[in-house]
Amino acid sequence: MNNRTWMSRSLAGTAVMMLGLTLAGCGGGGGDASSRPENELHVAVYGDASNKVEEAMVAKFNETSDVKVVLDTIPGADYQTKLQTIIDTDSAPDVFFNWGGGSIANFVKADLLLPLDDFIEEDPQLKDAFLPSVFETAQIDGKSYGVPMRGTQPVMLFNNSEVLKQAGIDAPPATWDELLEDVEKLKAAGVTPIALGGADQWPTQMWFQYVFDRVAGESLFQAALDGDTEVWDSEESREALGKLRELIDAGAFGTNFDSVKFTDGGSPTLLSSGRAGFELMGSWAYATHLDANPEFAENVLSYSEFPEIEGGKGDPHNLAGNTNNFYSVHKDTRYPEEAAEFLKLMYSDEFVQEQIAIGNLPTTTNTEEFLDEASNPEYAKYQFDLVKNAPHFQLSWDQAYPPEATVTIHTAVSQFFSGQIDEDGFIKAMQSL
Amino acid sequence: MTTLATRRQAGPGGSTTSRPARPGTSSVGRPGFAWALPATIFFALFALVPLAAVAVLSFTSWSGLGDPEFVGLENWETLIADPVMLKSLWLSLLFIVLGVVTQTPLSILLGVWAAGHQRNRAVLSAIYFIPLLLSSAAISVLWRALLDPNFGLPGQLPWLFGDGNLLGTQAGAIGVLIFVGMWQFTPFHTLIYQGAAKGIPPVLYQAASIDGAGMMRQFFSITLPQLRNTAITSIILMVVGGLTTFETVLILTNGGPGTDTTITAFYMYQEAFQSFDFGVGSAIALVLVVVATLISLVVVKVSGYDKMNSSLEGL
Repeated sequence: MNNRTWMSRSLAGTAVMMLGLTLAGCGGGGGDASSRPENELHVAVYGDASNKVEEAMVAKFNETSDVKVVLDTIPGADYQTKLQTIIDTDSAPDVFFNWGGGSIANFVKADLLLPLDDFIEEDPQLKDAFLPSVFETAQIDGKSYGVPMRGTQPVMLFNNSEVLKQAGIDAPPATWDELLEDVEKLKAAGVTPIALGGADQWPTQMWFQYVFDRVAGESLFQAALDGDTEVWDSEESREALGKLRELIDAGAFGTNFDSVKFTDGGSPTLLSSGRAGFELMGSWAYATHLDANPEFAENVLSYSEFPEIEGGKGDPHNLAGNTNNFYSVHKDTRYPEEAAEFLKLMYSDEFVQEQIAIGNLPTTTNTEEFLDEASNPEYAKYQFDLVKNAPHFQLSWDQAYPPEATVTIHTAVSQFFSGQIDEDGFIKAMQSL
Repeated sequence: MTTLATRRQAGPGGSTTSRPARPGTSSVGRPGFAWALPATIFFALFALVPLAAVAVLSFTSWSGLGDPEFVGLENWETLIADPVMLKSLWLSLLFIVLGVVTQTPLSILLGVWAAGHQRNRAVLSAIYFIPLLLSSAAISVLWRALLDPNFGLPGQLPWLFGDGNLLGTQAGAIGVLIFVGMWQFTPFHTLIYQGAAKGIPPVLYQAASIDGAGMMRQFFSITLPQLRNTAITSIILMVVGGLTTFETVLILTNGGPGTDTTITAFYMYQEAFQSFDFGVGSAIALVLVVVATLISLVVVKVSGYDKMNSSLEGL
């Protein structure tokens, strides 16, 4: 046997052996509680500016508890990927941040989460202290899997009040027809009527969420989510797509929105620099503007509900967006009692005050008492009332569906806006989910 | 990570150990198999084993939760019927061709120039090499900001860029990616050509001068032929680099508009880590491996690289 054959044979042998080991490793899956660290409760959160409140809560909890909470912050953009990679292993967190709905549906299906109903039975406040429209988002098959943390983020129609005034618009549009009229006025005034960060794709999706809800009511999307894909081909669905096409064809978003992002400051700067009149965006837009241009955020930035569509079935006070973030508990946690104690902090006065201080809007029933402490009480109260009075709060489509649907949804909405696909193409794409 | 690993494998160093000694040269003192052992073990551990695991995964359905479930050829059937997959292969091919066509002439010229003895050569070369020191992610974020349609270059130069919707059209987005790739990788290939051009024996030029050959004639008749092997190495690196381009696409275009810049490597990431379909993702990865290997083989065969033993053509 010469060197070469010997080498290739032994290599093949090693490869086969290693392969066996690798597969055994990845097939192993989650262990039982005893393989987890002792006296530590790992809490995984989305890493961003809100972490300081979570750190404060953890410090408070650790003062009195023998089991210490360890906060693992995962950089935002990688959060869902990292979570999905570790959740079925021994390094899974005990308690973790999520968006409710589709973001945890697969975990529930894989039997990885602890239903919180026993906790709630012992301490009903874990459910009753939160606004129902928000709490429902993390209920799956009648069981509760998440306790709200951080704040609610409804999507609103922001505007630059000075630009509107110059274009002769007195009040934000209350109806779709008024919006179309405003688009014409803003075009005549030489500005882009509506700023859109189309390259991010999810800002485009916000337009679909609202127009579908206003035209068809919340039931259409719910039916689609439950598996009845025929609803995408319904008359109402086509009507909603027609409305969107009407707005796009009117030039409402200009021509280069596909090159603009919200996340790198592109579209918010269009609004704040007076080169656009409106932007449909989540409530965090206020914080974005406050950070980049405080003078604009405090004096010029204004906001309103998404306009009503005449003859539509949806309630004009329905909301869409991120209902809230949630903490869910891993089934294999070693310390369920301690996890429950930790979750109880999420409706404490101190938690609510800390969240409000950094600009988040918690959804506990006692939030209202503290709204005066917000940096902009008027904005905080407006939002809170929107959420409290909303008959339905539609979770963002890409979060209502499980993560594997995101690419399809994002591609479909952006291709529809850029004209690459028509109504039929969009319907076909959504039916493939 | 993939890019680096693949580039290393594709380098010319890997094949030298198995090449039989040239007739007439003594094999005493030449490195034996033991010398290659550490590299072989690492290569097996970090390239062959994962490759085998990916091959197995491509026949399973796995979302990262629970155990992979064997599904036979289902993933492959999905891929064959998937229009995005086919489109991504064409796009990858287009990226490779455009990348080679734009980067090769530029880096040969720069490399040959940088190998000379002109004044200020060292300073200017150092400046040209700066993009080489930046990470792909930093470069992509930089160009993304520079090309913002309203507040970047296009906003200032409307006569050149129109409404600035560069990344919103297929031609514009591909153009931007090719340009940024050129800006980023030309310095690297320039460095390779510079080294090779410096290695050309001066005696060739001296002889040519005596025969009355001018600068152009010397360039085409001596420099270019002498750079042949280097060009093949460089082109293979470009091909493999082009096939595995990922960060720039992710940050600059995210595969868009629509799927118009979804090249195969990016599509693999989308399927595996955004859609959590590791089965289909693994199948795409295997396609990439096969395509990259085939292209490398074709380049090597066509160029006659495998028959050359001397690194200096004709000497």
